Amino acid sequence: MKGEREVAGLRCSEVLEALGDYLDGALSASRKATIDAHLSGCDICERFGGEYASVVQALKAAAGPMADADDEHPDDEAFDRLAGRLRETAETS
Amino acid sequence: MAAEGGDQEAFAQLVSRHQAPIFRFVRGLVRTRAEAEDVLQDTFLSVWRTVQGQTGGKKAGDSSVRAWLYTIARHTAYRRGRRRVGQPEHFEALDTLGARAGWGTEQSPEALLTVLQSKALVREALARLADEDREVLLLRDIEELSGAETAAALELSVPAMKSRLHRARLKLFAELRSTSSAHQQQEVGHEG
Repeated sequence: MKGEREVAGLRCSEVLEALGDYLDGALSASRKATIDAHLSGCDICERFGGEYASVVQALKAAAGPMADADDEHPDDEAFDRLAGRLRETAETS
Repeated sequence: MAAEGGDQEAFAQLVSRHQAPIFRFVRGLVRTRAEAEDVLQDTFLSVWRTVQGQTGGKKAGDSSVRAWLYTIARHTAYRRGRRRVGQPEHFEALDTLGARAGWGTEQSPEALLTVLQSKALVREALARLADEDREVLLLRDIEELSGAETAAALELSVPAMKSRLHRARLKLFAELRSTSSAHQQQEVGHEG
């Protein structure tokens, strides 16, 4: 990766590869500590990692259950229409 | 699952509990709200037929009911679009994805922050992603299924799901970075 460095025994490309698991808390304690040490000494990865986390947070805020987007809820009659189709299914079977 | 054997009340509870998140997921896969409603109904009809034993298909058994519902919804949505599930993605190296997302560049964090604060821009960036990228983000990051449930719903191993998730996040990041760069250039143009 152009411009990458080795800090705390890890190359930036290795940190990039582990960033998803790091954000999700899926790394072992020792692996997390190594990445923390790299982030403390590498301003590029620290900034990128922070922005990566912000992107995921923004996604949850924009499209998650609490986003309250008008287009992302079934309307109140959806269940009634489904019930009607189930009755049709039962009558024709 | 209590809805087996024709327990209509249990099935009604299943629908009530899951229809909103399933709709939200399906809405992210299809073009219009009307299509999403059709897919939602087809999904639960398929579930009903399965638990009735009419098709003899897979029953929930020991696997996560929620993951199973998402799998059915996913197949139903793609069947409408005549897209084959599991089409291989166009592969980009992780380093390339990182560079597209802005690793190592001197781009304005303020410009990116402005874009991230716009729900509309974030949703538009999500919509521009390929189906296989969008669906893993919908399930894991938006609906917050567990890693195992997400993998099951996507019919992937957990390691394969985690790899796809990370790559999808980087692609979304790249889309948002591109949007922030475009906005910055517009602002510079207005000032000039």
